[in-house]
Amino acid sequence: MGLIRSPESNPALVEFASEVGRSGPVVVQGGATHWSVGGDVDPSARVIGAPVGIVEIRADEMTVEVGAGTLVSDLHTALRPTGQRTALPEVEGSTVGGAIAVGRSGIERLGRGQTRDAVLQIHYVSADGDLVTAGGPTVKNVSGFDVVRLFVGSLGTLGCMADVILRTQPIPDMEVWSHLDNTPPEQVFDRCATASSILWNGESVWILTAGYVPDVEADLDALRQLGPLTPDQPPELPPNRWSRRPAESLTTTKTDFGSFVVEVGVGLVHTDRPVAPVSVSAEVAALRRRMKAAFDPTGRLNPGRSAGEV
Amino acid sequence: MDLGLGRAELDACVTCALCLPHCPTYRVTGFDTHSPRGRIALMRAVQDQGAPLTTEIVESFDTCVQCRGCETACPSGVPFGRLMESTRERMVEAGYKPPVRIRAALRVLDHHKALQAGSSVLSLAQRLHLTPSSLSVPKRLPLRRPAMQKSGDDVHLFTGCVMDAWQRDVHVAVKQVIETCGFGVAPTGPGTACCGALHSHAGLGDAARTQARQVIAALDDDRPVLVDSAGCGAAMKDYGRLVGSSEAVAFSERVFDVHEWAADHIDGLPSVEPLDLRVAVQDPCHLRHVQKSHMSVRTVLTPFVRELVELDDDGLCCGAGGAYSVLQPELASSIRDRKTAAITNVSPDLVVSANPGCSLHLQQAGHEVLHPMELVARALRGVQAD
Amino acid sequence: MTVSRAPSGHHGAVARRKFRKTNTDRCVADLVAAIGADRVRADGASRLLASTDASIFVGGHAGPVCFPESTAQVQACVRVAAAHRRPVVARGAGSGLTGGAAPLGSAVVVSTTRMNQILEVDVDNRVAWVEPGVINLDLSNHLEDLGLHFAPDPSSQQVCTIGGNVANNSGGPHCLAYGVTSAHVLAIEVVLSDGEVVMLGGLDAEPGGYDLRGAFVGSEGMLGIATRVAVRLTRNPRSIRTLLLSFGDVESAAETVGAVIASGLVPAAIEMMDKRCVAAVEDFVHAGYPRDAEAVLLVEVDGLPGGVELQAQRVEEIANRFGADVRVASDPEERALWWKGRKSAFGAIARIKPDYYLHDTVVPRSKLVEVLRSIYEIIDRHGLLVLNVFHAGDGNLHPIIAYDSREPGVSEKVREAGREIIEVSLAAGGVLSGEHGIGVEKRDFMPLMFSDSDLDHQARLRAAFDELCVMNPGKVLPSPHSCSDIASLNDAGEDLWG
Repeated sequence: MGLIRSPESNPALVEFASEVGRSGPVVVQGGATHWSVGGDVDPSARVIGAPVGIVEIRADEMTVEVGAGTLVSDLHTALRPTGQRTALPEVEGSTVGGAIAVGRSGIERLGRGQTRDAVLQIHYVSADGDLVTAGGPTVKNVSGFDVVRLFVGSLGTLGCMADVILRTQPIPDMEVWSHLDNTPPEQVFDRCATASSILWNGESVWILTAGYVPDVEADLDALRQLGPLTPDQPPELPPNRWSRRPAESLTTTKTDFGSFVVEVGVGLVHTDRPVAPVSVSAEVAALRRRMKAAFDPTGRLNPGRSAGEV
Repeated sequence: MDLGLGRAELDACVTCALCLPHCPTYRVTGFDTHSPRGRIALMRAVQDQGAPLTTEIVESFDTCVQCRGCETACPSGVPFGRLMESTRERMVEAGYKPPVRIRAALRVLDHHKALQAGSSVLSLAQRLHLTPSSLSVPKRLPLRRPAMQKSGDDVHLFTGCVMDAWQRDVHVAVKQVIETCGFGVAPTGPGTACCGALHSHAGLGDAARTQARQVIAALDDDRPVLVDSAGCGAAMKDYGRLVGSSEAVAFSERVFDVHEWAADHIDGLPSVEPLDLRVAVQDPCHLRHVQKSHMSVRTVLTPFVRELVELDDDGLCCGAGGAYSVLQPELASSIRDRKTAAITNVSPDLVVSANPGCSLHLQQAGHEVLHPMELVARALRGVQAD
Repeated sequence: MTVSRAPSGHHGAVARRKFRKTNTDRCVADLVAAIGADRVRADGASRLLASTDASIFVGGHAGPVCFPESTAQVQACVRVAAAHRRPVVARGAGSGLTGGAAPLGSAVVVSTTRMNQILEVDVDNRVAWVEPGVINLDLSNHLEDLGLHFAPDPSSQQVCTIGGNVANNSGGPHCLAYGVTSAHVLAIEVVLSDGEVVMLGGLDAEPGGYDLRGAFVGSEGMLGIATRVAVRLTRNPRSIRTLLLSFGDVESAAETVGAVIASGLVPAAIEMMDKRCVAAVEDFVHAGYPRDAEAVLLVEVDGLPGGVELQAQRVEEIANRFGADVRVASDPEERALWWKGRKSAFGAIARIKPDYYLHDTVVPRSKLVEVLRSIYEIIDRHGLLVLNVFHAGDGNLHPIIAYDSREPGVSEKVREAGREIIEVSLAAGGVLSGEHGIGVEKRDFMPLMFSDSDLDHQARLRAAFDELCVMNPGKVLPSPHSCSDIASLNDAGEDLWG
């Protein structure tokens, strides 16, 4: 029999499983900060919330186990005394489960990494109402199929996340946002190895340098060679996300795309113009539908919303 | 079938696969049957598990170049060369003979005069455009070979068989360099037998041992035996094991690759103007993987040329492999293509190789190849270009 | 091709085709018609060698072995196999350690060794498109002049292929800081079990839909065959410092690892070797490892010069607290030698015993001391010999049990000890495999880590890709979680030697 602590031993998870139940449309609501992504929820679905609270901070292991309903900001506040945080983006009001379900990474992706690489284990309630464990508690694990990665960005359509174990990372010794006018973003990207984020709006570049003090200071000196460097906070981001390749994103112009902010080195373009949906091949679409059907044959989980499978 | 393979030697392979990329035939075919790990597994299958010697198993063994690059790569120290030589010897005993023309060619090697005469005939034929291009001989064999005079008794210079007939220029250059170091050279000359390396590779163990005994008997003193062919040197350093006598062991200890020896005596060479050349070093497998004295080529050559460049193929075999390029022409040529790519990558003025077989094989692909000692000799003569 | 002449009158030495046309013959004929005779090898020798990998698993049974050179030829192989109701098993270098590439059920083996081209290096987007048979180290060497590399660096990187890395979600020493393969694969072109081709993932910032790319990486060849892979390229670090720490006892070394991690440092790599292992590799590389130390740690910090200096100082301070003797690699050559020693460790085991069996459980770094103590205790109790060489920084153990399978009863003891090591690791809050995968060797341990529901859900993921379980059946998921066993269909009666 299993040597791993069973999720059934945690009353909060058991209670959450019973809330999910075994039938009827159901949706887990987090902070609802991205509630329209992937379509609108079928109003007939029962709305429930995932367990809230930090289960355990394993600072010497660089991991944390946390209820999916916990606010990312609360998690990071709790982690701060350990000098650690996670890669999850800090959007005001968003929950850990929501951030994983949406699967997006934050603007500091160059430095902090992607959300999809931050999740180690997920306890979720299946469409059948069972408590299921995907992944494992350690920082490295290839035991079995990677159901965890499948869940990141799945918008809650494959199972209801109850709690998760996340990888943490040390908060850098020094982090500084600065701003440069009229500088080619490629130059910043090439010169600034400590850049955790480089944003470009067609004119100005904002840089988050992060790392050990001497390295950040050396990079700031290098940036000063490119022009007058001023401390600044990152710009407001336009509402729509356009996923492009890194080199392609640097060809974005105001005449074509209005007001925009590019995540340099990443390829994401934040724009106020509507973004056309991405077309996928029939084979990939069929594969997505089979995946949904395999995990949720009756379509009861988060009906109305889709990670591209309908 | 008993392949005469020792338990411990076979067991040393734990099938980790680290040898695979260092095997030229695996690199060009992608077949496990053409890899060292695969060949060892097949030896086990034949010797221990009753597998028959199928066409494909014979092919697997026959296609091995015996470069021994796998030995260098093997963390467990599997003596692959010995395993393959023993396997081939038992196959020959069981009646799996190398092709007739190879056996005939090897017999010629035993008869120095016949080889010299035959080479002269070939050379004439080349000049009359009568030779097929597929023949694995130098593009232009020397019609006349300069005589080699003894200059002293400090060291022997082993002149061998094919090399003496086809590339005596190299011996002449080597002799000049050793003499410049202040030593008298006694070329072994036509009286000495072939070293037996090719016989050994072909599984003709008895013939190889006969050759070895003759060589040992002919050089029965305590002077160093310098060898300028990496393949011969490797074989002669292995006489101790091959013949098994204490005399043979003592002989092997006196054998040095000429670069190995020269690296220890380089102070005796005068400082001269380096040749204005960018030279790529091709390491013969039997120098790099067997004798492990390839670094001495660099030591010796560095002062005499403007620039030495390394190939980025991690010492992978060129496909020459003694008689291999004749026996397995397609594979030998595919393997050479990789070497050619590595050479082209560094765009040298010319290539040096310390083994005659490699030189010939690469020359046939259009590379200008010289023996390292030819360049040293040229620099010592103060001649920038020949 | 010239081969030795067979002796005359040597009956039975050369395999003869059976008179009766077998299923295999028909399958081979169709494969030959589909991809060409020189790309199909159905002889006993080729099949014997395609039946194993670098593990001790010997139950593999390969059918015809194909060497396709394009996606279309892989498709053709998969379709022929389907028509003959044969499973399909992809094979790279065969350097896996769990029997993952060892085919069951006379499968059609699709070797990727001839799909070995680096198709495109796109420096602007920091991505390279490669075929699955490209060798890991060849790729990084190819990128060297650009100042880039492919970050996953398994110890077998000189031989293992990118396709194999994708199948196993391979790690390596430097994944401590850089992450495992999944973090470095952007997109994969895959031939599915029905012969359809799909592109999973994408090169853009935020490919939408389910992360099928993420599901595919680490799926051990059971979801399809990768035919092209887009890998992320990582900038070479500007500065590297490699430290060799020697300890008088294993526990101090393990405690040092825990203390380094707990201090908030993220070194590029922290590797540990115990005394026996040092002796074995030192005989091969002569790297200058201290043979008298009970354990050594190879710690590497990299990045920018200032941070490297700071990190090296902090590591050294911590190591000193635990009584370590500290050496710093004096030049790139010394560093290369130290790494060569570390990366040759498995192969060097034969210098001690002819067989080895290893696990690769992961345990919390804070539990390293107690788990290592338990492992030595288990091994002593069974009268066996263990060498420990592992990725200590992420708690990924590689206890190698060295033994001689010809000693009576020893194989059973080895397996029993292996099972106990797994149990101890899981009980400490660990997992079954950190990077080698499950394959067939660890398949039946899966229920120790996962419940029936958990395994059922993994089986669902698989079934969405491959409903009939055609691709590499019999691996990872223990029965009854593995679907209808196509493996049993063709298993009987195909002698290797005709």
